[in-house]
This record gives sequence, structure tokens and C-alpha cells, in this order.
Amino acid sequence: MSFVEFRGVTKTFGRAPAVEQLDVGIAQGEFFSLLGPSGCGKSTTLRMLAGFIAPSTGSIHVQGRDITHLPPEKRDIGIVFQNYAIFPHMNVFDNIAFGLVERGEDAATIRRKVGAALEQVGLSGYDERFERELSGGQKQRVALARVLVIEPHILLLDEPLSALDKKMREEMKFWIKSIQHSIGITTIYVTHDQSEALTMSDRIAVMDRGRVLQIGSPVEIYEQPRSRFIAEFIGESNLLPGRLARADGTTGAVEVAGAQVPARLAQPGLSTGAEVAFLIRPEQIRLEPWSADEAPMLTGKVADETYQGALRRYRIDAAGQHLTVEVPNRPELAQLPPGADVQLYWRPESGLALA
Amino acid sequence: MTEATAARATGARLAAPALSRARLTWLLVVPLLVFLTVFFVIPVGLLFATSLNPQTIGQVTVTSDLTLDNYLRFFSRSNYLLATGRSVALGAIVAAVTLVVAYPMAFVIAKTAHPGRNTALLILVLAAMQLDMVIRLYGMMVILGDEGLVNQMLRGIGLIGAESSVQLMYNFLGVVLGLVQFALPFMILTLVGVIRGIDPSLEEAARSLGASRRRAFFRVTLPMSLPGILSGSLLVFALSISSYIVPALMGGFRVGVLPIHIFQQVAEGARFQFGATIAVILFLLSAGAVAIYLRVGARASGGRA
Ligand SMILES: Nc1ncnc2c1ncn2[C@@H]1O[C@H](COP(=O)(O)OP(=O)(O)O)[C@@H](O)[C@H]1O
Ligand SMILES: [Mg+2]
Repeated sequence: MSFVEFRGVTKTFGRAPAVEQLDVGIAQGEFFSLLGPSGCGKSTTLRMLAGFIAPSTGSIHVQGRDITHLPPEKRDIGIVFQNYAIFPHMNVFDNIAFGLVERGEDAATIRRKVGAALEQVGLSGYDERFERELSGGQKQRVALARVLVIEPHILLLDEPLSALDKKMREEMKFWIKSIQHSIGITTIYVTHDQSEALTMSDRIAVMDRGRVLQIGSPVEIYEQPRSRFIAEFIGESNLLPGRLARADGTTGAVEVAGAQVPARLAQPGLSTGAEVAFLIRPEQIRLEPWSADEAPMLTGKVADETYQGALRRYRIDAAGQHLTVEVPNRPELAQLPPGADVQLYWRPESGLALA
Repeated sequence: MTEATAARATGARLAAPALSRARLTWLLVVPLLVFLTVFFVIPVGLLFATSLNPQTIGQVTVTSDLTLDNYLRFFSRSNYLLATGRSVALGAIVAAVTLVVAYPMAFVIAKTAHPGRNTALLILVLAAMQLDMVIRLYGMMVILGDEGLVNQMLRGIGLIGAESSVQLMYNFLGVVLGLVQFALPFMILTLVGVIRGIDPSLEEAARSLGASRRRAFFRVTLPMSLPGILSGSLLVFALSISSYIVPALMGGFRVGVLPIHIFQQVAEGARFQFGATIAVILFLLSAGAVAIYLRVGARASGGRA
């Protein structure tokens, strides 16, 4: 039995369901991400677990106990909001002390715990500040300290990095992950940013239009996406229209861009002749100048090149199909000017055929 | 849209040579200044000037022969000082009562998410403001008079004798009741705006940190509505101390607040200069309330410089 369980949860606002038939189990201590485009129902899911809204049907269980109708204050679940929701009429100390006061802790304990929490998030000495005197990253830290100080058994984070600038985001990403790791708290993290989900999560649930499409580790989600939507949403991808030329079990071959290439099959039931999308990630492709010696997966012409510092991104025209290829910017690799004939190589298991 | 892009968009619509931002600002500000001068600065200035002129019965005079006699007279007579105290007490009591009555109503309206129901509730509040004050006060008399609904009910259930009645009008209580019903919509509208502006995730944060609905209200929602409570109370205070019609009808001229005295001086005694003096003092009371509000309000919103 999982630590947190959604059992057949549906939430309908007016007519359209925001979350539909959600069945998800989350293990104790796990860092679990809900990933999906804006409006797909991530926040609604989180808010049902926090107790701010009730499911229309289905139930939610924590440690085997049905908490579907428990008010938020009885759930012992901490939540960090997208806008941090720091109480503007209280200073940092009182913000962090809020939950301790509600629990009836005595003044000395509160002072000690708040002090420790401030230290944990690197904000010692900020006790007297008010919300408007804090930067985005500092608000984030206060919001997290305010939650962690009450030692909840579940931590919810709703797009906690989206209000920060890029550099801060990178920093906070690792910081949040390390804090989560050190205290081992079960964490549910909502984001629409696939790179956040990939770097931080133990497992990811990809959502679209209120439904969970796939649950898996970052490696599974990235390397074995179950649908075109997931393949496109997670990372950069080349998705080429093709036809399944051969299928035996989990592997086969796809006719694509005038050639036949090996591929793993995303769905077991695919049969020969089926229309499929062929997925190959840009960083999986090796690009070589044209030569007659080796048999490449595909041949093509350089359409254009974008310099990106650490990498060069090529757009390759292969029999009318366009592919993106990312090549590390290393001096020993050949320069490939636009118009050059090139050969594309990748390991046979890198290609994936999607229904 | 930011201010800058708004200005650019406006600028683009006006053909070249485009109006500069500063010129545009002046174009918008000047009519306001003219309006304020004609309808506020000049009348109040004249009022001040009149109050500083010697008493001449039956004549409005504005001469350069200035004197503080009217003010000396005001502050040396205990009945005017009493009237001032009565006005201030009335304003404070009405503000407090209105606040207590209005806050729950405003809270319900602000938290009604359903757009149709929300509009209906607001229309109900606004409808109360649509009727002329005199009509509303006659309505109240039907309810509060010696033979009114309240007294008939009290007699009916035997709380008071068949011949007796509880005095609900033509006294201080009547004026308070009249002013509360007059001021209620103003207070409700002010509070609705402020309560609606409170980020709902603040209350949710409080809840998940362990606060019950009630605790979250007292620790987050109520303190965060303090600016609205202050501005609403100030507004009601100012409206109440300057109201003439309510003390006149509901108090039957028996509750001697400052506007009643002004009316008696001007309309009955034709003592315009002394009437103006009382009016100036009433004006300063309101201005004082505004000043207090500005200082307290600044501190409540965090002491921004
Ligand atoms: N309180 C609400 N009332 C009506 N519709 C809502 C409400 N909350 C969310 N929705 C709708 O439910 C859908 C999912 O919203 P949400 O869970 O916030 O998405 P996400 O967090 O993934 O961006 C959206 O279409 C949104 O408009
Ligand atoms: Mg959301």
C-alpha cells in the first residue's frame, strides 16, 4: 500500500472535469512530480490532497486512512504556493512561527524551532523582515521554513520556482532537492517545466487534460515515452512520420525519410504496416561528413546551424524531413557548413516507434 | 499592459506630432484642478473668511476686518462644546455599530464566488442607496415610532405594557439607528473591496499550517482587512458628523449635534458668521479624522515611508 493514494478521483468544476479518474500511489519518502501543461489539473490535484477542495468522486488516502473529508488543518500536510503566500502583516519570525502557535507550543520552543528553521534555510538574522523586504528566493525559503518547522509528513510544492529568474531557479532546484533528501519527506512537486521534473524527481506523472498519461522514473519518461504528446512535452525531440516495416515483440524497423531504421516499439500491440511516429532525440544523433565507407541510419544535407555556446544545433534535411541534431562544441569535430552532405548515426536502441 | 506601453499605445493613436507624456498628464489634471477649485477650494475658503468676520445678523459679509470673536464665543459656551462632544461620540458610535453590522455582510459578499449570486447581493446593497434619504427615514419611522412595528411587537408578546412604549426615536438612539442604515452601504462596499483583495492562498496557507477556519479568520483575514476597516470607519464617521437630515428627522431636533446648530444659527437666527464658524469646526473634525486615518493607515500597511 502506498503512503499517499488517489483512488478514482475526479474533480469537476461546472461542466468540464479538471481532474479525471486519477489513480496514483506515492511511496513514503518519494519525490513525486506532477508534470503537464498549464491547465491540465496539477494544482487541482494538489489542492484536493491539501484539503482546500473536495473531490467530486473518489477518495484520497494517506497511510491507509481515508482523508477525503478531513479539513486542511487536520491533515498535517505542508504546502508551498506558487506566490509563496507569505503573510504580509507578519514578519519572517511570526510567519515561520504560525504553525507552531497553532499547535500551542510554548514561547521558548517556538523561538528555538524558528531559529533552527531559519538556519536550515540560510536566513538567520532575517527574523524581523517583512515580505516586501525579501527577494523572490528569500520568500521561497521563508515559505519552505514555515512549512518544514511543523514537520508535516507530506510536502506539497506548487510551481515553487516559476516566479524566480533563471539563475535563481537552478540554485533553488538543487537546494530544494537536497533539503528534501536530507529530511526524507514525502514530496509532491507540481511543475510545467520538464527539466525541473527530470532533474528532481524519483518518479513523474505526466498529465494532460485532467488525466495521467504515464507514470515513471525520469529515465523511463524520457527514454520510453508512451505517446507522441509525452515525447514532445519532455525534452527536445525529432518526431518523424513513418510506417512500421517490421515488428517482432518489442523491437522492429520503421520506414522513415526514405530509409529503413531499427526502432524499439513503445506499444507492444503495433503491427506491420501501421502509421507510426519515429522518435529520435537530438543529442542521440552523431553527425559525420559524407563518406562512402560506413552505412548511416540516414543521409541528409545541413539546412542551417545555430551556435549555442556549449553546443551547435544543426537542422538537417533528410529526404524532405527535418531533423534537429545537437553536437557538442568541440574543436576536433568537423565544421559542417550549410549545404554540406552529412550522414546521421545513432545506436539502434535510441529510436522509438510511437503509435 | 504597463503604463509605458499604455502611453505608447495612446501616443501611437494620436497622430504625429504626438502629445508628450507630460502634456497629456496636464490635459487630464487641469480639469480636475479647476473642478476642485470651483467646487471645493473657493467655497471652503469663503466659509473660513465668513467665520472670521464680525457678527452681523442677516448679512453674509466677507471683509478684511478679521476677528476671532466667533471662535471665542464657540469655545466659551458649554452647550457648543457639548454639541461637539455629542457629534464626535455620535460619529464614533455609528462607525463602530456600522462596522460590526457590515463586516459579516461584506465577508459573505466578498466570498461569494458565483458571479450571478455575487452581483445580486451587490445590487441589493446598492438598491438601499438608491432611495432618497428622506423616504428611507420615513420608512424607519414606521418601524421605530411609538406606534411602530417594533413597539407593537413588544406589546404583542407582552414584554411591555399595553399603554407603554420604548422610545426608539427622537433621541440619540434614533439618530444612531438612522445613521447606521444610511452608512451601511458605504461601509459594506469599502469592506468588500478590501476583503476581495486578500489573496485566498493566505487563508489556505494558514489552514494547512493548522489553523481552523475561525483561527485563520482572526489571524489572517481580519488583520489583513484593517485598512478597509479604517477607511470605512473614517468615511462613516465623516458622513455621520456632517449629516443634518438624519438628526433632524430621527432626532426631532432634540439631539443637538453640530449640523443642527448650524441650521439653527443660519436658518433661524440668520447669523451667518457664527454658522460658518461651527461649519469650519465641523470641517476640521472631519479633516482630523482623515489625518489620523492617514497616519494609522500608513502604519497598518507596514510603515512605508
Ligand atoms: N476554482 C475553480 N473554478 C473553476 N474552474 C477551475 C477552478 N480551479 C481550476 N479550474 C479549472 O480546472 C482546470 C485545471 O486547473 P489547474 O488544476 O489549476 O491546472 P494547472 O495547475 O495544471 O495549471 C483548468 O481548466 C481550470 O480553469
Ligand atoms: Mg497550477
